[in-house]
Amino acid sequence: MNQDRWLAVLAGELDRRGIAAEHAAPVVAEAATHLRESGEAPLRAFGPPEEYAAAVAEGLGPARWAEETRAPAGGIRLDARGIGKGYGRRRVLHNVDLTVRAGQVAAVVGANGCGKSTFLGICAGLVGADHGRVRVRGTIGYCPQYHGTVDFLRPDEHFVLVGAGRGLPRDRARAAGLAAAAELDWDGATRTQARHLSGGTRQKLNLVMAGLGEPDVLLLDEPYQGFDRGSYLDFWQQVWRWRDAGRAIVIVTHLLNQLDRVDTVLDLTPKEAVPC
Amino acid sequence: MEGRLGGRGPTRSQRKLACCATFLPVHQERRTQWLKGVLDLCVLATLARRESYGYELAQSLGAAGLGPVQGGTLYPMLLRLQRTGLIAAHWRGGDAGPARKYYRLTEEGERVLRESAAGWASFVADVEAIMREGLAE
Repeated sequence: MNQDRWLAVLAGELDRRGIAAEHAAPVVAEAATHLRESGEAPLRAFGPPEEYAAAVAEGLGPARWAEETRAPAGGIRLDARGIGKGYGRRRVLHNVDLTVRAGQVAAVVGANGCGKSTFLGICAGLVGADHGRVRVRGTIGYCPQYHGTVDFLRPDEHFVLVGAGRGLPRDRARAAGLAAAAELDWDGATRTQARHLSGGTRQKLNLVMAGLGEPDVLLLDEPYQGFDRGSYLDFWQQVWRWRDAGRAIVIVTHLLNQLDRVDTVLDLTPKEAVPC
Repeated sequence: MEGRLGGRGPTRSQRKLACCATFLPVHQERRTQWLKGVLDLCVLATLARRESYGYELAQSLGAAGLGPVQGGTLYPMLLRLQRTGLIAAHWRGGDAGPARKYYRLTEEGERVLRESAAGWASFVADVEAIMREGLAE
């Protein structure tokens, strides 16, 4: 059995055992990496795919059934109704609705310039809408696509600053920030000022700040710009953790490979009849 | 074997291999059984030195004298250790090389490792004492 075939059978076996894609995909990826690096034959390294799938299922334990362990969606956290917005004569958003409950993830997709960021800004209360209304139950954490950091402050000073706005004392804000940074495989205790951080690292800082103080609603505007593949996977794990903790999450994204795992997809690509 | 050991003389890992080979195959089966009870502790101890990924772990455990550790055994164990909170994992890289899942010891893992190391030492001492007495007869 060649490598690709073995990996395909393994993926099928994991699926058959009801292991959620979010657990199965990393297992297959890790086995593929091992095989590539070791040059070993898959049957020799891992045994028959059926048996390996069984061992994986045992290793994962009950957490493998994402649907069963997942708490049912709670009350409505964000409700946007009939949102309309134009810039000058150009109409960007027309009669857009979105409802997100506690424990749900919504993805906002669409071509460039179709108002994804504008819509998120309206949800965050940063941009005024021409029509419609947004209701939010609870607190909001917002992660912008660019900017959002203060050039001359270190990451931990950002944590303290944002934490203060959310009622966190210095120590707790700093500790929470460092812990969240570690989840993204980043050492937030670095003495580097924000202006000297790489683009990807600055986005990690933005993301950590959005989650500080455990807001009920997280609004994330393509927060993974500049992330390498590893950080990107860590980011989605963070999203599922937030979801499982009962947060309501809205993510603006142009990457479609995660869409089968979100609860709602809002496509802002204009219909042909409506000029964008 | 002869070819590998010839020339510049055996490397450290080759000497180890040759030394292990003298145990084979009589002790191999028993060693495999022993390993089942302590492989997770060996993994924790290896990760206590520094974070690592699956293939590297398998190699360093092998080089440390445990013989080949198969991926089919190692990765499910890593999943279990991760689930029970003794280790944490992160994906890293992927732009140039392959994306690897790196594991590191958590504080809980450190605590369990310390306790288990003490327990293992006392177990070994007990077994040795029994054997010593038996052989002295």
